[in-house]
Amino acid sequence: MLARVLESHGIATTSISLVREHTEKIKPPRALFVPFPFGHALGRPNDAALQHRVLSAALDLLTAPGPVLADFPDDAEPGDEMPGPVQASAVATATSVPADAVAETKDVVRAHAPWLASSLGRTTFGLSGIAAERFPEVVEFLQRFAASGDGDVSGRPSGVSLPAFIRWAADDLKSLYWEHRLLTAPRASGTDIARWFWGETAAGQVLRRVRDRLDASEDLKWKAAAFGVAR
Amino acid sequence: MPRLDRLPEASRKGLLALPVQANETAPFVKPSRPLAASRLALVTTAGLHRRSDTLFNPGEQTFRVLPIDTPAGEIVQSHTSIGFDRTALLRDLNVTFPIDRLRELVASGVLGGLTPSAYSFMGALRDVAKLEGESGPAVARRLRDEGAEVALLTPT
Repeated sequence: MLARVLESHGIATTSISLVREHTEKIKPPRALFVPFPFGHALGRPNDAALQHRVLSAALDLLTAPGPVLADFPDDAEPGDEMPGPVQASAVATATSVPADAVAETKDVVRAHAPWLASSLGRTTFGLSGIAAERFPEVVEFLQRFAASGDGDVSGRPSGVSLPAFIRWAADDLKSLYWEHRLLTAPRASGTDIARWFWGETAAGQVLRRVRDRLDASEDLKWKAAAFGVAR
Repeated sequence: MPRLDRLPEASRKGLLALPVQANETAPFVKPSRPLAASRLALVTTAGLHRRSDTLFNPGEQTFRVLPIDTPAGEIVQSHTSIGFDRTALLRDLNVTFPIDRLRELVASGVLGGLTPSAYSFMGALRDVAKLEGESGPAVARRLRDEGAEVALLTPT
């Protein structure tokens, strides 16, 4: 869509496509369909060779004589990720989950600084506007909210509604747990980590309850936030 | 992806039920120069932006400017969805926003250069009227001002 707009303003575009069925209808000028999961447009993280092959295939389309939808070779598909992410509803809660989510988060948050040091600062944390070290307090709030529908966090950015904030806070909480897990299990896949988070952590169970509380609202904005927290 | 036939049924049905614009033809301009002499713009629909920028709200049809030398640690993604796994982006920005790979192509002479800014839009837009009429053309004009001959678009 956007490619069509840029092209009609004189800029030659080439696009990576993740849903061939949609691209066939929209008809961008040049697109390379890649058989990778969402979130993996260039193939696989930290695989520069594969990323270069995808880039090269996409840039090659710029020499095509007319509009083109090409396919990146099938055999390049990374076999280490599921086609779709694991959802909370697909993971059973383990029999021995820590009871104290706040204490668990205190421990998890300690991994944030070492993670940043090991990743040159790369993180998906930082959407809620609340600093990582305050996340035990955020979890306390999420527990209260799940139980009673009440509560708030001081310093919630102005202009961000409570359901939107809860959604960002859940995303940030997941990021902190993901970093913690990757530090201890660097080769873990997204699927592995999602199974651990939803199955074995106290925070995963808090987010399940937050989802239920949001979803019980009649307000569509709260229901939409529920859908973003867990499914 | 995912090949649709490999997705869970609910995800597949959800995707196919999305309103998608159907077009008969595609606009097409021939690049004026070979790639090695062209300046490329990186444009993404992954909802990326600098930490200091306003977050994208779902459905928002605006754009954010990403100066090309923004450190990877300063870029976040406010397009989040349980429909995709963010572990890859946590590990490596290039899996969605291949800035290091493009720099390597410039260094090796495959690519002439990069525009001073990359541009970012929100993903999973249902309504694209403003993007077509306002924000898309605005970015096109900026890219032309920055000397872009070609653009690479990446989704998430």
